[in-house]
Amino acid sequence: MQIKIFVLMAFLGMSIFFIALAAALPPGIMFDILKILLLAIGLMFDVIAFASRFYTYLLIPAVKQRSRNIVLSDEEPYNISPSADSIMHKEGSEFVATVYVAIPLYRSATEMSDEEKMDFTKQVSRLVGVSKDTVRFTSELYVMNKDAYIQTLKDTINSLENEAVELTNKKDKAKELDRTKGKLAMWHNMLDNIEKAQSLELITYAAISAKGTKEFEAVSIAQQRAREMMAGVGSVFGVTPSVVIGQELLKFIEPEYLIPFSTVSEQLSKNIQQVM
Amino acid sequence: MDEEAIMYLILTFLIALIVFLVLPSFGGGIFSIIAIILTLIAIVLIVMLNWADFIIFPLVTNALGITFQPARNYKIVKSQDAIVKNVNGLYYATGYVTGNLFPYVFKLESRQEEEDRKMLAAPDIWERAIMNIGFPFKFHVLSSGLDIQNVRDELEGRRSYQEFQLSRAQQGNANEMAVTELRRKISVLQTKIDRISQGEKPIATVMYFETTAVDVSEKAAADRLNAQIKSLQVAFSGMDLQLSKVVGRELYTLFSFNFSMPTSLEELSAFFDRQS
Repeated sequence: MQIKIFVLMAFLGMSIFFIALAAALPPGIMFDILKILLLAIGLMFDVIAFASRFYTYLLIPAVKQRSRNIVLSDEEPYNISPSADSIMHKEGSEFVATVYVAIPLYRSATEMSDEEKMDFTKQVSRLVGVSKDTVRFTSELYVMNKDAYIQTLKDTINSLENEAVELTNKKDKAKELDRTKGKLAMWHNMLDNIEKAQSLELITYAAISAKGTKEFEAVSIAQQRAREMMAGVGSVFGVTPSVVIGQELLKFIEPEYLIPFSTVSEQLSKNIQQVM
Repeated sequence: MDEEAIMYLILTFLIALIVFLVLPSFGGGIFSIIAIILTLIAIVLIVMLNWADFIIFPLVTNALGITFQPARNYKIVKSQDAIVKNVNGLYYATGYVTGNLFPYVFKLESRQEEEDRKMLAAPDIWERAIMNIGFPFKFHVLSSGLDIQNVRDELEGRRSYQEFQLSRAQQGNANEMAVTELRRKISVLQTKIDRISQGEKPIATVMYFETTAVDVSEKAAADRLNAQIKSLQVAFSGMDLQLSKVVGRELYTLFSFNFSMPTSLEELSAFFDRQS
């Protein structure tokens, strides 16, 4: 708040200075043009003074850097706490810890009766008011990372191909060879289908933050709030929410985890093929 | 309008007043007229900044080609409607859309049958929309608990005022429509008071969508993002949502919520103004 007031006063001071200068100039055609210019500058500072109400965080770096690409921060926006269960962000001298909680909801409207649909909507309404603290509930649709699964399929196909080659040399294993070839065709079809389209997955989670002067203080308050919230969520939906830890957290934060790299290259090559 | 806004308006309008006071020093004639026009333009800009800074700010950054770097590898584009992350030459553009689901989360003053119909249809519409969307997105509901006693006192105060108005209207032979309208307002307030008495917690909410698009250039990613935002607007149009693209400072705020969320209602309300 103090910085905001300081910035406001500084710009108002500049505005008054230029307007007073314009008013103090002696009369004369050349001076009158100069007066209008000074007045325009003074009024511009007046508008900037008002804009500082919302944009103090931009105005100070903009004035300091005088560049078209204004760098507000060149640091990573967060780091994962040593306990791997919170996202840490530094705000001035304070630490903000954010805990992500996964809510396992796997119900579909297609398998619900009208009464169940009504109950479910009411449960969602109750979920939103489950905590007195500020909580963010999110439903996220993201592209599944199928790299590991595709690799497993490829390994299976390779081993089956080896098996088929070995069986080809043995005359008494014709039936087994047929079975292996059948399996091979099945896994090839599976691989083709999986690579053809991207698969999307829907997850629901909640996030809650807490501040502290020390990193561990912020983490422990955030974890405490998360536990309270989890108890509320559990009672509303009858499920067991869990705190998200480690690399899984990145799925909720980093855009590249929403669309895995393999999918992007697949999508781009598809676009190129369409253009050609 | 809050106290801060009033203070900023008074201080900046004082400058305009000073200009009017020193107008005689501009020598009269055309120069005085120019000075008046400039001052009026400044006043209009200040008023617009107060009520719709999200229109003015992108215009300025677009015209001057100003971009911001909120954190390492991230960039807010000059149109102020997307945050782009560069990951090894791939550009991930993230944008936000407000999507207030109030008719589903809160019972409004509408008739019970109408409310029930909406609540019943919500899971189906949601599921259909999800099935038709072929790109990643997130729907966030940010909620913060309000002080129950304060809300109750405020509602009771408003109900007493409406009851006073009603008794005056009945004594003064007001028309039937005005009396019915006052009765409807009292009934709505009474319903809200009853719900709090039954144990429901009053909450403040901010709801928004977040979506990410990826491509090989910043421009291509931003274009793809715009297409995705339009698709989101179409997909969720069945839910009577107010979907509008977030631009300007609120984009930065929503981006930072992934790493650090507000920890109190005061903090939350300080972030949002007109768009949300």
